[in-house]
Amino acid sequence: MGTIQKNNIIETLKDSQKAFWLILFVIDIIFIFLCLQGILNEYFAHVLVVINIYLILSISLNLVMGFTGLLNLSHIALFGVGAYTSALMIMNGYSYLLSLLLAMLLPGVFAVLLMFATRKLKSDYLMLVTFGFSFLLYSIFISWTSLTRGPLGLNNIPKISFFDFTIYSTNQFLVFSTIMAIVSIIIIYNITKSSFGRLLQAVRDDEISLKLLGKNIELIKFKAMFISGLFAGLAGSLFAHYSQYIEPNSFWIVDLIFLLTVLIVGGLASNRGAVFGVIIIMILNESLRLLPIPSEILGPTRQIIYALILILILLYRPKGIFGRIDLK
Amino acid sequence: MQLLFNSVVAGSIYALVAIGFSLIFQTNRFMHFAHGSAVVFSAYIAFHFFSLSNSLLIAIIATLILSSILGYLMHLLIYYPLQKKKSSSVILLIASFGILFLIDNGLLLYFGSGIKNINYFGPLRGMEFFGALITKPQLIIVLSSLLCLIFIYLLMTKTKLGRNLRAVADNNDLANIMGIESKKYMALSFIIGSVLASVAGVLIALEQTLSINMGTTYMIKGFTGAIIGGVNSVPASILGSYIVGLAENFGVWFLPSQFKEAISFILLFLFLLYKPNGLFGIDKSSRK
Repeated sequence: MGTIQKNNIIETLKDSQKAFWLILFVIDIIFIFLCLQGILNEYFAHVLVVINIYLILSISLNLVMGFTGLLNLSHIALFGVGAYTSALMIMNGYSYLLSLLLAMLLPGVFAVLLMFATRKLKSDYLMLVTFGFSFLLYSIFISWTSLTRGPLGLNNIPKISFFDFTIYSTNQFLVFSTIMAIVSIIIIYNITKSSFGRLLQAVRDDEISLKLLGKNIELIKFKAMFISGLFAGLAGSLFAHYSQYIEPNSFWIVDLIFLLTVLIVGGLASNRGAVFGVIIIMILNESLRLLPIPSEILGPTRQIIYALILILILLYRPKGIFGRIDLK
Repeated sequence: MQLLFNSVVAGSIYALVAIGFSLIFQTNRFMHFAHGSAVVFSAYIAFHFFSLSNSLLIAIIATLILSSILGYLMHLLIYYPLQKKKSSSVILLIASFGILFLIDNGLLLYFGSGIKNINYFGPLRGMEFFGALITKPQLIIVLSSLLCLIFIYLLMTKTKLGRNLRAVADNNDLANIMGIESKKYMALSFIIGSVLASVAGVLIALEQTLSINMGTTYMIKGFTGAIIGGVNSVPASILGSYIVGLAENFGVWFLPSQFKEAISFILLFLFLLYKPNGLFGIDKSSRK
């Protein structure tokens, strides 16, 4: 009796998970269709593109932070490395595909180096070192003026073009970024469901037993960080070519807190959580625009709301909406 | 000589931030990152009351009072409920990022992003002092932070309150058994820390123009100081802060000047990685 009930619960859970992805996919397709038909204006397409970019970021950060339990605050900085690499490569005349490749590899390598340096650290110390690493990269973005043009930022970054095909309009970019986001989600989803994904969770939950089983924990951590860095770079490259303008402040504490809020609201160690968190926070973010407040106080108001949500979630539901683990 | 003096001025302010941070870390066992926003908050409050009343005394008193209330409220409304739920230090750290963000943007909303300046001393003339140019506010910074440091030293070593605080910092459970109400002292450390932060804030307001981003910068500097010296000991974090000041000002000899800001981040990074207990710190990790 008990086992049947248990099975039923598992079945419904599995179903709800499938249903979640299916509904999301259908809604996504409908929105894209409406945008392409011109029923929804370009602003909607813009919001969807931004959602896509953040989806890649949050789901790849979740792989490290949620599944592997490495509290990594350098994800936004890696995103920045990807953006700068891609932008600078293309501006120096390399092809898009090559730039994208390097823009993904470089953050991956950075992530592995950071992990190598911090392999002995845990919980809040790890968090602060990775935060320090973000600070370091941020100050490099700002200070290395001959390369990054410092606080002025890089502008006139070319649009994406490959195989004689150039992405001009927001709608085209929407389709491109949606494909990228869906591919990323599918890859990371499959990683988390694979045996490697289970190893990652074992690193989080019980390092010592895993060591006893003869697994190389550091190698697992490096792999996780590398994959997450790759996707951070992908998101960075998309962002750079979409907005065509990047500056150091795009990769600093505002987006860091945003990403942290997204993950904690959605819930750690849950792919659904990472996706849902982005969507819900972005909807909230954009609906604030409808309120009659002047634009110069819109930014701070938004950030106050993120901060409040973050604090309230930590106080009343530290697991988030779909989360399965506590922060340790 | 000029560089040395500049280092001391910068170090004095970092020291004030670092002591508060280190005190709170010791009694509460988590990293109170929002401490930096307490500094900016006090700087802006000082500016606000000074421009309202045009009297520095009123501004200082108001800042001290409001800032200690802010520190207490942070503890009462956010940290204490989290601690009561036995949240991990990671959750508290994330919460403190949230608070930092909340206060900074609150200030931005209220005061706007324009640059604020108290301009109490009018145009400044430097005084010659052993071959270094010193302005009056800089002298005030060094002297008043020295006074604060002495005051804190006396408070921590000579009074019952200080003894109890140190007991809570040393071993919370044992202090509880001995009848020291640790909750009270945890709150108290927030108040003392915030008062120190407010002194730093007022001093910054006197010397420099204000901007919202200062909070994170000063927090990183103070935090670096505390980590370099050793976050588990107040005197060590004071020393560490002066080291940060020195490293920043003398590092310019070796690096291009735009990397001045980066120096303390690099130091922080290296120390967190290789010597997380600092130069003079005591290893208390086993007691965690």
